[in-house]
Amino acid sequence: MAFGGGKKPTVVNFPEMPDLPKVPVGRIRAALIALVVVAVALSSVFTVEPEEEALVLRFGEYQRTLQPGLHFKLPFGIERAQKVPVQRQLKQEFGFRTVKAGVRSQFSTSGYEDESNMLTGDLNAAVVQWVVQYRVVDSYKFLFRVRHVEDTFGDMAEAIMRTVVGDRTVNEVLTVGRQEIEDLVKVQLQELADQYETGIRVDQVVLQNVTPPEPVKPSFNEVNQAEQERERLINEAQSEYNRAVPRAEGEARQTIQQAEGYAINRTNRARGDAARFLALYESYRKAPEVTRTRIYLETMETILPRAGKKVVVDDDLEGLLPLLDLTGRSAAPPPSPQGGGGGE
Amino acid sequence: MRVVVLAVGLLLVITLGSAIYVVNETEQVIVTQFGEPVGGPVDTPGLKFKIPLVQKIHRFEKRFLEWEGDVEELPTKDKVFVLIDTYARWRIDDPLLFFQRVRNERGAQSRLDDIVDGETRNAIARHNLIEVVRTSNREPITDESVFEAESGVQAELNEIREGRAAIREQILAAAQRRTEDLGIELLDVQFKRINYGDQVLRDVYNRMISERKRISERFRSEGQGEKAKILGDMERELKRVRSEAYRQAEEIRGRADAEATDIYAAAYDQSPASRRFYEFLKTMETFEATVDADTWMVLSTDGDFFRFLEDSGGG
Repeated sequence: MAFGGGKKPTVVNFPEMPDLPKVPVGRIRAALIALVVVAVALSSVFTVEPEEEALVLRFGEYQRTLQPGLHFKLPFGIERAQKVPVQRQLKQEFGFRTVKAGVRSQFSTSGYEDESNMLTGDLNAAVVQWVVQYRVVDSYKFLFRVRHVEDTFGDMAEAIMRTVVGDRTVNEVLTVGRQEIEDLVKVQLQELADQYETGIRVDQVVLQNVTPPEPVKPSFNEVNQAEQERERLINEAQSEYNRAVPRAEGEARQTIQQAEGYAINRTNRARGDAARFLALYESYRKAPEVTRTRIYLETMETILPRAGKKVVVDDDLEGLLPLLDLTGRSAAPPPSPQGGGGGE
Repeated sequence: MRVVVLAVGLLLVITLGSAIYVVNETEQVIVTQFGEPVGGPVDTPGLKFKIPLVQKIHRFEKRFLEWEGDVEELPTKDKVFVLIDTYARWRIDDPLLFFQRVRNERGAQSRLDDIVDGETRNAIARHNLIEVVRTSNREPITDESVFEAESGVQAELNEIREGRAAIREQILAAAQRRTEDLGIELLDVQFKRINYGDQVLRDVYNRMISERKRISERFRSEGQGEKAKILGDMERELKRVRSEAYRQAEEIRGRADAEATDIYAAAYDQSPASRRFYEFLKTMETFEATVDADTWMVLSTDGDFFRFLEDSGGG
């Protein structure tokens, strides 16, 4: 179009010049030539930015691929250049869109539920939001093999994600299977992208929020709480156990030690008593009668002053007890002298 | 004269312009002469020529094209209504045939709607939902705590016989047979989205909720059970520790008592004399230990104490 437009005015205007005698012909010609030169320059020089690659087409036919820098092509649309940002990492979001990117990015999820709702292999529903990062590695294929390549790529990504999620339980999707899903989707998406000749390389598939559907969320939270509660109960019981058992073990050791102490005490005392008795008995045997009497009297000497009341009764006296005022007093002693007297 | 030159020149340019045409990398072209196709399709890009004013060109896409199905609510074999959204990939394989059969892309899209949607409907109706959702019979990975809790609930994926990929292949094969004579090559059909219909969704949510409730209950009762078990263990352990300590202590005491008894016996039980001496000594000790200020000493004149008195008096 630039080709026809550039040529025609010169053809049309040239013959008309004599009809305008007042205008200085030389100047117009110079101006026109200058205009043409500028037009040629503008339509033949172009730059390729650092992240780009340019494909040059001559009459619609692919000629060459140009790297970043200043380049020339034939003017007036004979050659056209199409630029593809091959170095830039591109991204598609599913189930949400970044509204404002920044340190605290803002996301919008409403209106994209259709993208994120999917079925799991146990026929439950899950909400999966994810991002696919990719790059154009073959700009020729990217431009000339697939129409609406980015829409197609989005469709592929959705189909693959659902295929992978459809083969897993809802628990896997929500918890343990995340990494595996990302890896598998990446591999399968790449296979499909190659098969479709998109010229795209999948860099990364990243799962974002993966949640149960909104109405089911509370019951999923309840499961988490219940799990926490179970842990708490177990921990409590464990700590009670740990508080009681070691203490009981300590106390048990104490009991045993006390018994050991008793044993030592008992045997030592027995030995001591025995030794004393033996020593005494040894002397007693030398003069039994005297020793006996001596011990008896010594004992009486010690105990008689201590006793509060002393009653001496004749052996023939009968009915003594009614005469004694035993009230308010301990009446235990009376048998003692009998016992003392009884012992020979 | 000048006007004539001008007119001729203009005519020449127009004619030349209509004799030249450009075929893009992304295009293929059919040339018709009074409506009749001439030569084969032009599918190489570049500058091309035709007979001006007589021949017409028709451009067609050479690239892979997309087809997007509408979301349809379809019943599966097990009578579950699901929303199915499919997409397909195709290209114009034979532009001439394509031109004759469907004329243009719009015509092709509408034919594809009929064919792919129809085959999808057939395939969905022939299979249970699980067959469309799952691809393989892989075993689910389970994290331990969840598995424990769920072993009583539902942790298994139901087995499939064919699976998603196979059903896709069936749809593709059936649709391919029908698009062949449209000059269309159908390369792929994919389920983009499969979701429950609103009615079913409510039931599914209820099922999921009750399933979760069961898991929660299980966790709770597991917690209580575990706690009771630990406390029971504790109780048993305490009893064991304490009773063992008691037993040991009593054994030690018993041995000590026995030993002491042996020692005493060895000392006191040497002869009748030693036995009597021991009784006497012990009696005296007991006296010493028991008599205090509250004690009434009732002394018989017949007792030993006074006997000494009488003896000395009498003597």
